Amino acid sequence: MGKRVAVVGAGMTRFVRRAEETGKELSWIAAAAALESAGIGLDRVDAVCLGTAPDAFDGVHRKGDYLADGAGAWGKPFMRAYVGGGTGVFTPIQGWYTVASGMADVVLCVAEEKMSSCRPHPQGAFVTIFDDIIERPLEPNLLWIFALEMHRYMHAYGLEKRDIAEVAVKNKRNAVDHPAALLGQADLTVDDVLASEVLAWPVQRLDVSPISDGAVALVLASEDVAGSMTDRPVWIQGVGWNLDTTYWTNRDLVYPEYVEHAARMAYEMADVTEPRRQIHVAEPYDPFDYKELHHLEGLLLFDKGKAPEAARDGVTARDGDLPCTPSGGLLGVGNPIAAAGLMKVAELFWQLRGEAGGRQVPGTPERGVAQAWGDLMQVGTVVVLGTDGGPATTASDPPASAPPAPRATALDDAAFLAAPGAVDAAFDGSYRWDPGAAMGRFLDGLAEGVVHATVCDACGRTLVPPRAFCERCFRPTDGWAEVPATGVVETYSRCHVAWDMQPLDEPRYPAVIRLDGTSQGGFLHLLGGFTDEPTIGMRVEAVWRPPQERTGSILDIAWFRPAGEEAGS
Amino acid sequence: MTTGRRIEGTMPVAFRYTPGVGAGAFLAGLGDRELRGSRCAACGVTYLPARAFCERCLAALAPEVRCGPEGTLVSATAVHVDVDGRSLPTPEAYVLVRFDGADTVMLLRWLGPDAARIGARAAVAWRSEHVGSILDIDGVVPVT
Repeated sequence: MGKRVAVVGAGMTRFVRRAEETGKELSWIAAAAALESAGIGLDRVDAVCLGTAPDAFDGVHRKGDYLADGAGAWGKPFMRAYVGGGTGVFTPIQGWYTVASGMADVVLCVAEEKMSSCRPHPQGAFVTIFDDIIERPLEPNLLWIFALEMHRYMHAYGLEKRDIAEVAVKNKRNAVDHPAALLGQADLTVDDVLASEVLAWPVQRLDVSPISDGAVALVLASEDVAGSMTDRPVWIQGVGWNLDTTYWTNRDLVYPEYVEHAARMAYEMADVTEPRRQIHVAEPYDPFDYKELHHLEGLLLFDKGKAPEAARDGVTARDGDLPCTPSGGLLGVGNPIAAAGLMKVAELFWQLRGEAGGRQVPGTPERGVAQAWGDLMQVGTVVVLGTDGGPATTASDPPASAPPAPRATALDDAAFLAAPGAVDAAFDGSYRWDPGAAMGRFLDGLAEGVVHATVCDACGRTLVPPRAFCERCFRPTDGWAEVPATGVVETYSRCHVAWDMQPLDEPRYPAVIRLDGTSQGGFLHLLGGFTDEPTIGMRVEAVWRPPQERTGSILDIAWFRPAGEEAGS
Repeated sequence: MTTGRRIEGTMPVAFRYTPGVGAGAFLAGLGDRELRGSRCAACGVTYLPARAFCERCLAALAPEVRCGPEGTLVSATAVHVDVDGRSLPTPEAYVLVRFDGADTVMLLRWLGPDAARIGARAAVAWRSEHVGSILDIDGVVPVT
């Protein structure tokens, strides 16, 4: 499959809460460090691939070309990739096919995020990932998605929070040995995690990775030139990526099938037939602690539901049988979105070259896998790196060299607010969204106290939310069906914070409702009118607002209450 | 049939942009009535405002070149509408000026009594009070 592609250099900034450097300057620090580590100048670079997540984080609506000079793209072919949180691992995939295709011999891959510009909280940008018509009126925040998925995962396998908190402890402890880390914590315990503030049950403060600024860069080279730059190339043996349906409330929230599909694609390319034996070190995406476990299962490194046990037994520790996130991960090093994903690939590069210093895993790992996840919880991006598979190099066991020391200057809150020359600007954009044909009829139905689904005769599915076309069969849906406004609670959360992370007076109970009569259909709504704490699997029914108060909105359903109960609060 | 409902909303974000290393040095220079640029000797390019790095070779740069205060107009325009496309009561003139010693140009207001002419000489006009931003420069005026 095309030319073999090696990673021949890597560099990164420190990850900090607020960087003095601009996004361009962070990109430059990382790019220059990667080139230095590859021992080449920018003149050797044929093309540049940039990864960066939503423009709304940096507040620059053209973030690709804005960052281009810092990424070393002056006068070169340049492209920005963006697949949400999956971007950081997708960026070297883009670099891989640019080189493997023969279009370039040397590609500089740069990933950047500067989230500190965004106020009052980056979640202000995240809220727009929810469906404007049937989700945003519920005033969701990003934590809901994670809390709902995590709760469903815990429920499916009977897990306790303690089982999951082990990951946060491991990763934040691992990060102590990372010179770029924002949140390394040597003395953190599971009890600390369990005692931290509940944000949206089961998500607590220490289950979550921090908002961060930072950048990471890699140098990729074709087999034709890699040997001229390094005696110890690390080969990109496999790449894979895959996207699940954008209707996130219709998905299996317990198992990330899209990660499995992406992993299988990468493993097949890498001739990995027994990942548990052939993968020696893993960097799964860990924006939340449970996500590492979720992803390790999707990467086929543990049986479904068995990753927590492995974490508890030390299998995933840095000195365990399968070291997972020896870098410290997003939880410990930090989570400047796209940069964090690429940091995982850089970590494999350093681990496989024996250059990871205090983070070095025991033995001589020969192959590793890095993975990221994003968009609306449905993209998996996977890269397999290994020391074997390229042409022989001329080297005879050269000594390991230390990676360039990560730089970046942290600003504390006071310095940020007092920074000379700083400019404040609101994003002065407001929108009016048209529901479209299918959702328009759905809203009309709600005004009449009816839930409408569309039906696809080809796959036989009854779809809620209704759509004009079936995304699987890629053909128009065939008709409409009324389904009852009853169902079961697929998962729920008890949320204590608003989107800007300010505490709520009363907790809210977002839930994914699986509606009766649909094909794993349903939507996001709220639970209410219960006396005992809700349970997953509980049967519920819609509480409709009085007909004269309905407006043709998802809010025409006030909430879902336990089926058969009288109207409550 | 849809009743033509519309859902309205916003993206609730605001931003605080800090100038960073390169532009920070440039803004600090304005307080001293200096136009600070940075030169990459290897590429033979002087950037104004100063930058932390050379975009051509990624070398680190220091803000040690003083440019201006005079320069040459590279282009000029008169703006008749605001950002929403509404007519302005009085047209506003803007120019691209390449200050002496710099290879790059800056966008500034034209404060001359007559229309700006490409190729004409101009000089920086400082605002009387120091505000710590690009607005320390009022614009450029003709050199007679």
